[in-house]
Amino acid sequence: MFFRRIETKIITKLLGTGLDTGYALLDQLYPRALYKREKEKMNAIEVKNLKKSFGKLQAVAGVDFSAQEGEILSLLGPNGAGKSTTISMLSGLLALDEGDAAIMEHSIRTAPEAAKASLGVVPQDIALYPDLSARENLVFWGKMYGLRGAVLKTRVDEVLDIIGLRDRQKDAVGKFSGGMKRRVNIGAALLHKPQVVIMDEPTVGIDPQSRRHILDNVKELNRQGMTVLYTTHYMEEAAELSDHIAIMDSGKVIAYGTHDELIKLVNGQTRIDLTLNVEGLNVLDAWKVVEGVNGIDSTDGSSTSLRPGSVAVLVSDSNLVLPRLFEAAGKLGARITSVDIQEPNLETVFLHLTGRALRD
Amino acid sequence: MKILDIAFNDLLRSFRSLFMIGMTIIAPLLLTGLIYFAFGGLAGGDVSMTAMKVGVVNADTLPADSPLDAPIGENIRAMFFDESVESWIEASDYPDEAAARAAVNAQEIGVAVIIPADLSASLLSDEVDAQVIIVSDPTLTIAPAVVQDMVRMMLDGVAGGGIAIQTLIERQQANGLQPDPAQIPIWVTRYTDWYREFQRDLFHNPEKAALVLTVPSAGESESADPIQSMMGLTMAGQMIFFAFFTGAYAMMSILREDEEGTLARLFTTPTERVKILAGKFLAVVLTVILQGLVLMTAGHFAFGIAWGQPVSAALALGGQVLAASGLGVLLISFVKTSKQGGPVLGGGLTALGMLGGLFTANIPNMPEAFLMLGNFTPQGWVLKGWKLSLAGSAPAELLLPFAVALALGVLMFAFGAMMFKRRYA
Repeated sequence: MFFRRIETKIITKLLGTGLDTGYALLDQLYPRALYKREKEKMNAIEVKNLKKSFGKLQAVAGVDFSAQEGEILSLLGPNGAGKSTTISMLSGLLALDEGDAAIMEHSIRTAPEAAKASLGVVPQDIALYPDLSARENLVFWGKMYGLRGAVLKTRVDEVLDIIGLRDRQKDAVGKFSGGMKRRVNIGAALLHKPQVVIMDEPTVGIDPQSRRHILDNVKELNRQGMTVLYTTHYMEEAAELSDHIAIMDSGKVIAYGTHDELIKLVNGQTRIDLTLNVEGLNVLDAWKVVEGVNGIDSTDGSSTSLRPGSVAVLVSDSNLVLPRLFEAAGKLGARITSVDIQEPNLETVFLHLTGRALRD
Repeated sequence: MKILDIAFNDLLRSFRSLFMIGMTIIAPLLLTGLIYFAFGGLAGGDVSMTAMKVGVVNADTLPADSPLDAPIGENIRAMFFDESVESWIEASDYPDEAAARAAVNAQEIGVAVIIPADLSASLLSDEVDAQVIIVSDPTLTIAPAVVQDMVRMMLDGVAGGGIAIQTLIERQQANGLQPDPAQIPIWVTRYTDWYREFQRDLFHNPEKAALVLTVPSAGESESADPIQSMMGLTMAGQMIFFAFFTGAYAMMSILREDEEGTLARLFTTPTERVKILAGKFLAVVLTVILQGLVLMTAGHFAFGIAWGQPVSAALALGGQVLAASGLGVLLISFVKTSKQGGPVLGGGLTALGMLGGLFTANIPNMPEAFLMLGNFTPQGWVLKGWKLSLAGSAPAELLLPFAVALALGVLMFAFGAMMFKRRYA
């Protein structure tokens, strides 16, 4: 990053251009891969021992992670894991109890305004003015990031293109579909070309088409060099988007790494989702002691009583263990009505680490 | 700059809200307009009304021994030709009943009043029975009813006069006095004159009724036009009430933004929280200023209200803006959600408005204790300012109410702002 800045300044001096032009020229001269080595030296997001309590509830209990410039880091975890509280602190909404974090090397404790200027925040819920048009919303939020005049107009046009709503720019946001609102919600965070974008579960409750559009947007933003901190409880999204994934549970980061590094944590274990036709039998307890079973969780959150619904079982070798599961269930008069064997994935990792399934 | 951006964003949203426009501009104008048409406009002659066409046939004659100077039928006829009713009754004489009926049939007149030849004799004696006949166009409803009422009241008055004179004679006889027959026509004439004046003042002279309503308070000079004065106070009361409502409602935008998530989003931008709050407060002040200017302009052109000397009116408006904005910030600082805001605005501001005298500004001789209560409300001081301005007072005379409104406004604003700052720290 340091070298890139120096080179940009030299180009700017030589050509008499603005910084943006300098960076653009540099991007053409040096493909991203060429200066990746020096980029890795800088953390766009640096979080150290972050803590936050609400009364007696400790929502975030000492979180550490970092995201290098230009990467996508996903915070993956179930509802209540502390993801939203963590990013609320990063984006300046909540005061920190302990610890610190830096956005582009600006401490959110000592230089919050500078940190915010480098940051674009996409809130989980739609945070727009429903009675204003898409364009009016973007213009207002652009002004809040200090954009004015022709620059603002140009950026609003560009963002409308990015979110694919140029033809609906004059319509009131309140009349938009959920997916369209989500897109404007994202666009409002991109107007000032932030170096870091925080997205808090931006695909919750929307149609598949809009979800696809948003995920493609995230990739495109990242391709343009933006660092993205993406929170989700959809493991497929984390797997598709992320350079690194931090798995959170109970206010802590319980695992951090690339997708492949995390999968290795389960040592090739397989997850089997089973459905039973009976209730009231202690099938789960029987399965727990079956040889080769490494973890088990039922959809009601209990591992001692069984009710109709899915049961997730983590096993070393599905070929060996599955017949034993059938046999144990049969002895208790239960019948397995469906079996779904999944290759190791982030769900498996979460089950392995916590003994619970990662679910909505 | 961001403060202005936030304020203008709020203004834009406010004036796109039909509810806001309705409560800020339309409601006060509508309420004042209703009062205007109920009293001021009609009485002031600004509203034209089609005159009723009444034909009168007066065949009444005095009986031979009558104590009266003129037949009673002449009084009835004179009532329709009186100058006080000429704006709404167009009367004409007809020689006989047939001619009058023909005129009604031809719709040349709406109502014909036919006074029989022996009406006076009938009223002076029990032996004769005569009736006044009213013939009307069957398509009309109001005009015949009005004419019928007028005739009946006149006849009731004459009958009452007969009773009064008879009672007077009997009382004199009971006291051993013999009534002088020569005095009786004089009494009758005096009674008739008095009754005619009484009727005219009571029913046909709204200016006199309006004068009663606009008796100026102590220390105020009487306005040249009492109707305009009444409308000015009415409009001022409405404007003040809705200005305070607007102040609080505009401040509620911060609660709505909190619920919509846009306030939290604002806090994630590189904008200091104090600037965000300042933008919100500025929006409230600008909204109340704009509302005041629009209502004053509309009041001037729609109801002919003269708001006073420019500087005096500016001081009154300034006091109103500061007090309304301050109270709005203070009230909403105690409210957690926009749903809670409804009762606070509806109940709290109405109660304060009543105590401040906003709804009784035109009622004379209010109890001193009630007037004193107004001194404990910001609305009361703002109303004092407007009363003085409307009465044409010099700016110096408005300094006290302006200073009190300013002080109250600043105090309430400071306290409310402190509460908000603490809440969103």
